[in-house]
Amino acid sequence: MANLKPTRTRPLHLAHKLPFNVDLLAVGIGLALAALIRFNIIHQISF
Amino acid sequence: MSTQTIPLSIAAEAQFKPTSLIATIPGVALLFGIGLAGKLLEHITTVLSAQHHLLLPHIEYVLWAILLGLFVSNTFGVATIFRPGVATYELWLKLGIVFVGARFLLQDVLHIGGLSLALVAVELILSLSVMTLLGRIFRLPPKLTSLLAIGSSICGVTAIMAAQGAIDPDEEDTSTAIAAILSLGAIALFTFPAIGHLLHMSQQAYGMWAGLAVDNTAESIVTGSLFGSEAGRWAILAKTARSSFIGFVVLGYAVYWASQGKAAVVENKALFLWQKFPKFILGFLAISFLATGGFFTHPQLDSLSNLSRWAFLPAFAGVGLRTNLKDLVGQGWRPLVVGVLGEIFIALVTLGLVYWSYNHGVAR
Repeated sequence: MANLKPTRTRPLHLAHKLPFNVDLLAVGIGLALAALIRFNIIHQISF
Repeated sequence: MSTQTIPLSIAAEAQFKPTSLIATIPGVALLFGIGLAGKLLEHITTVLSAQHHLLLPHIEYVLWAILLGLFVSNTFGVATIFRPGVATYELWLKLGIVFVGARFLLQDVLHIGGLSLALVAVELILSLSVMTLLGRIFRLPPKLTSLLAIGSSICGVTAIMAAQGAIDPDEEDTSTAIAAILSLGAIALFTFPAIGHLLHMSQQAYGMWAGLAVDNTAESIVTGSLFGSEAGRWAILAKTARSSFIGFVVLGYAVYWASQGKAAVVENKALFLWQKFPKFILGFLAISFLATGGFFTHPQLDSLSNLSRWAFLPAFAGVGLRTNLKDLVGQGWRPLVVGVLGEIFIALVTLGLVYWSYNHGVAR
């Protein structure tokens, strides 16, 4: 089982806890921008 | 080929301290910088090919962004100052998925999403069983086996992180499971599109396959998008259907490990399911519902589609940046072998399921 001894590193996911709920923020930003586009506050977005 | 890592001694101190918003700025700038560089490289190669009649391969910004991210991560490394911001790639990814809802009519979501749910149910049962069996054959620690089974059957890292609090594994097991799942996802990025072309798969069938077979949400969407933008769209739908099972599977494992006396008992199962449910799916469905109901004009729907592409730009860069090729060999061979064998099984089963669906008129 030597191969399972602790490594000395840690994945990014375990090292940094973001200061917000990612899911809720994504939904909030998404719906807010959709509303701004719907009511023509933002006119056109190109890519 | 695995996660970007930092020394444990540093990480241990940072574990319970949420990253501040200001600390994310350099990494977010790096994500967008690499994404924009990828878009610029796509434009330059296209112009050079057209104006100077050069035979340059057409590489889309998706692949450029990943390749640039991989290059930075595996040559210079990602400096500490950038790491909190690079971790936000998940936000951009989920924001992109919410906006993609504008490109789906609700009836498509219900039909294909319903088909996906049925295929996911079959895939879940088979992959959980096979990963558990392989874990026993290769004598992996039981909780590492559970994490690998959860990660490979549902939605990769998100599922593993959700399970971490529920079944209380060693952090080393969590790290190993995440590394193995991401390594396999990185391999899928380069193998799945080749297989799809070899089999002359349609955009929709390939997208469904990528969504059902590739574990991590980011890698799944990229694997789909590398085949074509339509395939990317269908990969998102299939992957979203798969992700919706996360609460049920994690709850099952939590109940099992609690019955073994090795994890806390789940008191309120309904609350547990809601807490584990990926809420961004609700945003995706809300935008799809509004688009289907004629809430947006066609130009507005185009703008929402373009917003999804802008959101995916830093997310794709993040996939490259957090993939470290050196770590592939550092995780031990057994978890990787279990992962590879399990993933090959899942890829073949889901390919068979997709072919069956499309050849028997179940999908359209």
